[in-house]
Amino acid sequence: MSRSAVGIILRAEWRAWRNRIAKANPLRVVGLVLFALLGGTVFGGFLFALAAAAGHLLPSARDAMLAGAFTALSVLMLVVGFPSVIATYFAGRDLMQLVLAPVRSLEIFLARSLFAMSANLLVAVVFLIFVAGVGAGSGASPVYYLLALVLVFVQVLLVTALQATFMAAVLRWVPARIARDVAVAVATIAGGGLYLAWNLTLRQTLGSFTPRHQPDLSNLVSSLQRIEWLPSSWPGHALSAVIEGNTSTALVWTGVTLVFAIVLVGAAALLYERTLLAGLGLLGGVPSRWRTRRRKPPRVATRGAGSPGFAIARKDWIAYRRDIRRLSRFLPAMIFLLAYAVLLIRPGRGVDLFWNDVFVVSFVSLFMSMMFATTAIPAERRGYQLLRLAPVTAWQLIRAKVLFTLVPVLALTGVISLGLSIVGGNSPWKTLQVALLAVWLGVGCVCIGVSAGAIDPNFESSDDRRSVGIIGTFAAMGGELAFGLFSVGALALFYLAASLAAGNPVAGLPVSATPAFAVLSAVVAVALAAAGAAVVWLMLWLASSHLRGFEDSIATN
Amino acid sequence: MSQAHSAVEARHLVKGYGIVRAVRDVSFEVSRGEIFGFLGANGAGKTTTLRMLCGLIRPTAGTALIDGFDVFAQPMEAKARLGYLDEEPFIHPHLTGREFLDYIADLYRMPRGPERQQRMERLLGLFELADRDGELIGAYSHGMKQKIGLASLLIREPSVLLLDEPTNGLDPRSARLVKDLLEELAARGTTVLLSTHILEVAQALCRRIAIMDHGNLVATGTMEDLRAQAGSAQATLEDLFLRLTAGPESSALIERLLAPQP
Repeated sequence: MSRSAVGIILRAEWRAWRNRIAKANPLRVVGLVLFALLGGTVFGGFLFALAAAAGHLLPSARDAMLAGAFTALSVLMLVVGFPSVIATYFAGRDLMQLVLAPVRSLEIFLARSLFAMSANLLVAVVFLIFVAGVGAGSGASPVYYLLALVLVFVQVLLVTALQATFMAAVLRWVPARIARDVAVAVATIAGGGLYLAWNLTLRQTLGSFTPRHQPDLSNLVSSLQRIEWLPSSWPGHALSAVIEGNTSTALVWTGVTLVFAIVLVGAAALLYERTLLAGLGLLGGVPSRWRTRRRKPPRVATRGAGSPGFAIARKDWIAYRRDIRRLSRFLPAMIFLLAYAVLLIRPGRGVDLFWNDVFVVSFVSLFMSMMFATTAIPAERRGYQLLRLAPVTAWQLIRAKVLFTLVPVLALTGVISLGLSIVGGNSPWKTLQVALLAVWLGVGCVCIGVSAGAIDPNFESSDDRRSVGIIGTFAAMGGELAFGLFSVGALALFYLAASLAAGNPVAGLPVSATPAFAVLSAVVAVALAAAGAAVVWLMLWLASSHLRGFEDSIATN
Repeated sequence: MSQAHSAVEARHLVKGYGIVRAVRDVSFEVSRGEIFGFLGANGAGKTTTLRMLCGLIRPTAGTALIDGFDVFAQPMEAKARLGYLDEEPFIHPHLTGREFLDYIADLYRMPRGPERQQRMERLLGLFELADRDGELIGAYSHGMKQKIGLASLLIREPSVLLLDEPTNGLDPRSARLVKDLLEELAARGTTVLLSTHILEVAQALCRRIAIMDHGNLVATGTMEDLRAQAGSAQATLEDLFLRLTAGPESSALIERLLAPQP
């Protein structure tokens, strides 16, 4: 009897995955597992406790919470898991081989489903903890947990099928080479819009929260009731009905959810059969022509020797504008950044306007450098070998990348900090201080970000989000947080020193307003600023050392 | 640099990955203006050796010299004189061919101006890429990528060329063009170290040939030297290669493959 193609494909995928693990550095694998276990226990425990408390204390909001959780799960999966779905169903290189083999499209679809769902399943685990927490807080029966497990899995299946269907639809209208990026951009913007709307509702709801008063949940509940027609909220209604012991209602919601999932998975499988061949064009990724009209003769510098730093920056600028994949990530991220910046402009009660501006500038610097700077060197991809072959030192490369990345970071941070000062009516002196802080933080964070990317680059990744390894990501986050805290701490201590020197004690601080304490504060402030600079220097040194020692081969991407 | 130095010199190069020795004590010299063939079966260690010579891989032991400069001790001097073409050329997919050449020229600090511009136009014309203006390299065919990779070496006129399968993916006319070009460059003093699987190319172009097998250099010399070493005055390069990289004869393998199953 011939073996099923689904089994053969799954076995090959399993072997490939096992080989990747076996090839990885064992220390790294153990570290990752330990980190995941520790992080999962702490985060999961916190989430479970929070959900249990909410389930116990807010019985009137249970249905809204569960419906909202399943909708949030769907939105998050839609955004986070989409690249995995596209890569697995449409863009994997091994698909070519499967298409050439005597294997039916449906078998490919079924075999790839488990891997297509992988990212969505990871997201779903977090929500499963939340749903279990609500059940525990509400004293739900074991049926609740069993049904929750089934419905979360069905939701994952449903969203994955929706993503495959959406991709198939996009492939009908958009050339295959750019379809992946168009689809990801649309999904990210749609998901981001929903997330921001949700966040605004939450802020409105919790804005009036004080420790003595419960928050007014009516706004949140009514917002969620408005979306209860969404299929994504149906499993939540089913679970809420189980908690209340309403079996018939639970059966109805579960039934419609299952029927909807079956219809969507069926539609996805059908459409997949029709678009698989069109989707194989996704293997490309670079539009064939950049300009359709005859362009003007290129502007060529006519004097002087070529400058490697300038050449790298110019090449980055040209490539960035043309890389549709990068733009499709960049635009939604910018929307998020600007939306958050606008949200943060309004300071909370009791927060000084100047320190609110300091916080916003710090946030923007950190966000921008994480987005631009960490990927600056890994984004060279295979072209990095050209730099290694050229008479360019690691320091020259890092300097070129820092200078190129600084331009957008400082420009945006500057615009936001100036905007803040104008809106808040800051004095010119305070505006100057915020602007100087923006430059200091911008330079430091960009240096740290570029260095972190150089410490742990993944040159083979064609996706910027995977182009920096876990060590690099943590180095960037840790380094930038440390630098930001040292810098803002130094600024605060300078303020304290000035206040103490002027003979004004600070309320709540057990420090008398004497010149000695003023000098001590200033000295500690300088030490903190120096510590921040040391973090930057250390990161740059590590990056330079790592780039000098790099000798891996970089496969074609 | 003084002319006394060889253009390329590998001194006892060794590269190990854990317990695996990819390259074992390889030494050879290539004179100025020589085309030197580098042959070997898949996995013999040719690419690793080339990458050690151009500074992409640090040897476990030994030294690589380009025009007398140690690739790792004096990297700036060595790299300025060296051009390396990988079997999959390193390119930037989002640049056009012209922009890529401009990028490389700047990276190697070539003086800007009309001379550089003319050279760029001539190279694009030579490799039939001039009318591809506006097309991104990422959308080029493999052969076109190979051509732009070669053009990116020639734009800056390095004195030493290390080429890993340069005719790979080229149509017959372009392959012929590359062969003629390499001969002309060598005649003008450029040193070429050519790694290839196409034995006819090696036999036609190279004055001396080195053959690698399982990380070892098993033979080096002119065709006559190799024939003498193999004890066969009439042997072709293919015969010599098969004899020096001894494995089961292909006829025996085919017989075994096609033999009826018991």
